[in-house]
Amino acid sequence: MIRLQNIEKVYRTDTVETLAINGINLDIAKGEFLSIMGPSGCGKSTLLNIIGLLDEPSKGNIQIDSQDISSYSDQKLAKFRNEKLGFIFQSYHLINDLQVLDNVELPLLYRNSSAKERKRLATEALEKVGLSNRLKHFPTQLSGGQRQRVAIARAIVGNPQIILADEPTGNLDSAMGNEIMDILINLNQNEGTTIVMVTHDENMAHKTHRLVRLFDGSQVQ
Amino acid sequence: MLKNYFKIAIAVLKRRKFFTFISLFGISFTLTILMVTTAFMDKVLSPDYPDLKRERSLYVSSMEYKNTKEGWINRSDVSFYFFSHYVSTLKNVDKMAISSNPKASNAYVNNKKIVIAYKYTNADYWNVLEYRFLAGKPFSQKEIDNADKVAVISEETRKAYFGDASNVIGQYISADNINYRVIGVVANVSKTVNSLSGDMYLPYTVSTSDYNKPDLMGPYNAVLLAKSKADVPKMQKEFQQMMRRVPIPKDFDRVYSNADPFFSAMTRRIAGDGANNGKTRVVTILSIFVLLFLLLPTINLVNINVTRIMERSSEIGVRKAFGASSKTLVYQFIVENMILTFLGGIIGIILSLLAIYLINGANVISNMRLTMNLTVLFYSFIACVFFGLISGVYPAWRMSKLNVVKALKAQ
Amino acid sequence: MFRHLFKLIWNKRKQNFLFLSEILVSFMVIFAVFSFLTFYYQNYSKPLGFAYKKVWSISYDNGLLTKNRDSLTIFYDNLYKSLKAMPQIEEVSYSGSNFPYANSIMTTGLHLNGKRFGYVNSYVVGADYKKVWNITLVAGRWFSPEDAVTKNKNFIINETLKKQMFGNGDAIGKLIGDYDDKEKMKIIGVVQDIKANGDFWPAGNAMFTRLDTGYFRNNSHILVKVRDGADATFESQLYKFMTNTMKNSVEIQHLSEMREAKNEDTIIPMVIFIIIASFLIINVALGLFGVLWYNINKRRSEIGLRRAIGASGSSVSFQLVTEAMILATMSLMVGCFFAIQFPLLSVFNIPASVYIVAMLLSVLFIYLLVFACSLYPGKQAAGIHPAIALHEE
Repeated sequence: MIRLQNIEKVYRTDTVETLAINGINLDIAKGEFLSIMGPSGCGKSTLLNIIGLLDEPSKGNIQIDSQDISSYSDQKLAKFRNEKLGFIFQSYHLINDLQVLDNVELPLLYRNSSAKERKRLATEALEKVGLSNRLKHFPTQLSGGQRQRVAIARAIVGNPQIILADEPTGNLDSAMGNEIMDILINLNQNEGTTIVMVTHDENMAHKTHRLVRLFDGSQVQ
Repeated sequence: MLKNYFKIAIAVLKRRKFFTFISLFGISFTLTILMVTTAFMDKVLSPDYPDLKRERSLYVSSMEYKNTKEGWINRSDVSFYFFSHYVSTLKNVDKMAISSNPKASNAYVNNKKIVIAYKYTNADYWNVLEYRFLAGKPFSQKEIDNADKVAVISEETRKAYFGDASNVIGQYISADNINYRVIGVVANVSKTVNSLSGDMYLPYTVSTSDYNKPDLMGPYNAVLLAKSKADVPKMQKEFQQMMRRVPIPKDFDRVYSNADPFFSAMTRRIAGDGANNGKTRVVTILSIFVLLFLLLPTINLVNINVTRIMERSSEIGVRKAFGASSKTLVYQFIVENMILTFLGGIIGIILSLLAIYLINGANVISNMRLTMNLTVLFYSFIACVFFGLISGVYPAWRMSKLNVVKALKAQ
Repeated sequence: MFRHLFKLIWNKRKQNFLFLSEILVSFMVIFAVFSFLTFYYQNYSKPLGFAYKKVWSISYDNGLLTKNRDSLTIFYDNLYKSLKAMPQIEEVSYSGSNFPYANSIMTTGLHLNGKRFGYVNSYVVGADYKKVWNITLVAGRWFSPEDAVTKNKNFIINETLKKQMFGNGDAIGKLIGDYDDKEKMKIIGVVQDIKANGDFWPAGNAMFTRLDTGYFRNNSHILVKVRDGADATFESQLYKFMTNTMKNSVEIQHLSEMREAKNEDTIIPMVIFIIIASFLIINVALGLFGVLWYNINKRRSEIGLRRAIGASGSSVSFQLVTEAMILATMSLMVGCFFAIQFPLLSVFNIPASVYIVAMLLSVLFIYLLVFACSLYPGKQAAGIHPAIALHEE
């Protein structure tokens, strides 16, 4: 599904060159649930951003679903992200000025669907995460766990093939964290969504299919 | 899609009420000033009572002698002789309205002093201009030929001189110790139509100065009416050709007089002279003033918008992550800005109506009544669009350059 | 501390570009307003130089009068006597058309030792002109009947012209060339400046020449000073008398009304200008307030940090207000550079003191504006709890 070949990412300032990712090769199969772990500063978020097409590698090749996206234009990448990817962030990044339903609809705004269709899909997504009674609430009126569930609903509303989660349980206590993990595992098993998750938590990581450890930009173990 | 932008725009405006207030204040106030100024310009430049045939007319209001070697200039209004002797020979001129510039005289009624500005006119004056007679009628060629001491007065003068008397036709009004018989009352003329506004209109034949003196300078001006709009350029060309035959007075080497369309006649008076109608100068200076005036509110708005965008960087990052291209986001932001600008525009319209009401009530310029008509609204609409675009483009560009990764960093 | 803050701001100058340009443009607008106000005020505070309250002007069309010089002299002599005889009239003088507050300008040039002085307002005045207006002589004497027959034409100048020509020296008795330096005229008196163009405009250069019998053919204005009892009834009698005498159109105006009209010509545009400028500045003030507020909110962690390492609440407010003032100073330096060109180039021939005062007032105004706008956000910043601010990170 996802193939990374010889990925390198260098950050340049006026005087310093930092090699964040150093020659990573990774193959992720369709339907796999992958965890990426490593100490702070080892480049795991950078790697996730590259897989999620939010950042460009300095060297190397990315293929998603057998398509070589290294040379896609900004417009094409945006469309690709819209159709094939979904994101979950550690600090949720919900839009506080919009109600829950409108937040979940967001990815569908950038496709050509009618308002009715968008509403239907968003409501379905919220049902899947167990929040159908909170459609009209604002994010500020929800708990941390509920907000992350809204974010997950937003990530799946467009039926993406791949979900990228950056420390999804980082801001939650262990009970809520477990709930979130359950939802993700469910998604992976029942819908067959490929999930790549960056995490600090060993327990969460062990619930997934495969674990990749990074240290100083390179894969270890 | 637009509905969503609208919803988000309103939500953002409600969230940071203070910023919204600042922006609306700035926009509505700037647009109010622009609209009131546009209403004023419209009043001055559009055909206005009684000068309603402007598109068929040319205006002759000055005579200039020039000595190009020494640099002396002598400029004045025009003599009756010039019109009756030279201009009347032009074939393209259908009718000519000749009148003297208003001159003040005093009348003392009921221990009160009234200033009466009177004009001498010819008979065709009433056929070219469309005065509204509230009573009576104008004087005709017969009364002019007889030098009858008859007068047409304005409604304002009627009230000031005769008070509440209902019928003043046939009564006498005294000015400069001469009694004139009132034969007509006309509706008041706004002072913005300066050369045609007067309190009393008299046949030119009762003037004590010699209107037959073969002099080119005098106290008169004229409106030349062509048969149709298409004839106006022909009329102008014929006038210029005629000017070449006019004798040049002693001590000078050039004579200038011009038959101008309304706007050029005005700019010539303000910033031009015999040879140059001053149109480019006036338009340039006005444009510079407008742009300078808009500069400060625009910078202010741009500043506020950039600030508001930086505040929403997380939202922008999310939208980009979920598939919005830079172009889409720029479009979204400009639409939001337009919504804000139009809201400000609506408030501006309400404030302008209020301002116009106050200005008309205060009678700042005698008898001038400003209105908010379609022309004004149209130009205001354009101003809104313009303002919204200018104050939105730079912030939108800044926003689209936001690095997604930085924006989405865990806070 | 200042050096630290200055470094901070200099590094962020690109971010603050919009803020800086707003201050710069506001400064230019305020500079324009204060320049006008200072100019008008400077002129307003100079003495009027004459008394206008009980003066009326009688303007008439002299077209039907005789052209014969001798008959005309007799006619005007009689007219003078008749007017003077009216109990309500105190003084009478004939005058050229450019008397104070009339919308008429007559200027000429003079030569002194080859140097030309232009734009000298030239007043032709009757013998009692001084009495009508209560003009003050500061040197020499007024006209007397002997001046009709002197070799050189005797004339009087005003203080401004005297200063221009002679500085602090004496002007009486000096010979001055007329507009083409062909004839010489002799100065016999210097009068205090008369603000003939309204209260807000300088008197300019002025010279006064005697209205002699040769001028009668051109004369069309009479100035009278009336006593306290002169009302509208008297005015209408005077009007009838004048129209009967001149057999032509006559206009009587009160100088006090003409003065109001002249002053309004200056005041109304000025008021409009000030209203517009005020709204612009309120706009700017609100905008600055909002931007400063936002900037401070953005730096919550920085502020929390400073508090954590030992800065007190008031030093944080002080820091933020000072930063805003430093930003303002950067803009004002550029603004002053442009503003100083005005007095250096003597733009519009206005005295340099006007521009200097306006510049100082504008700088002060901008500082006050920025100070006021940064005060509240600064105080808010002082209230930030270090623990909370740092934890949010």
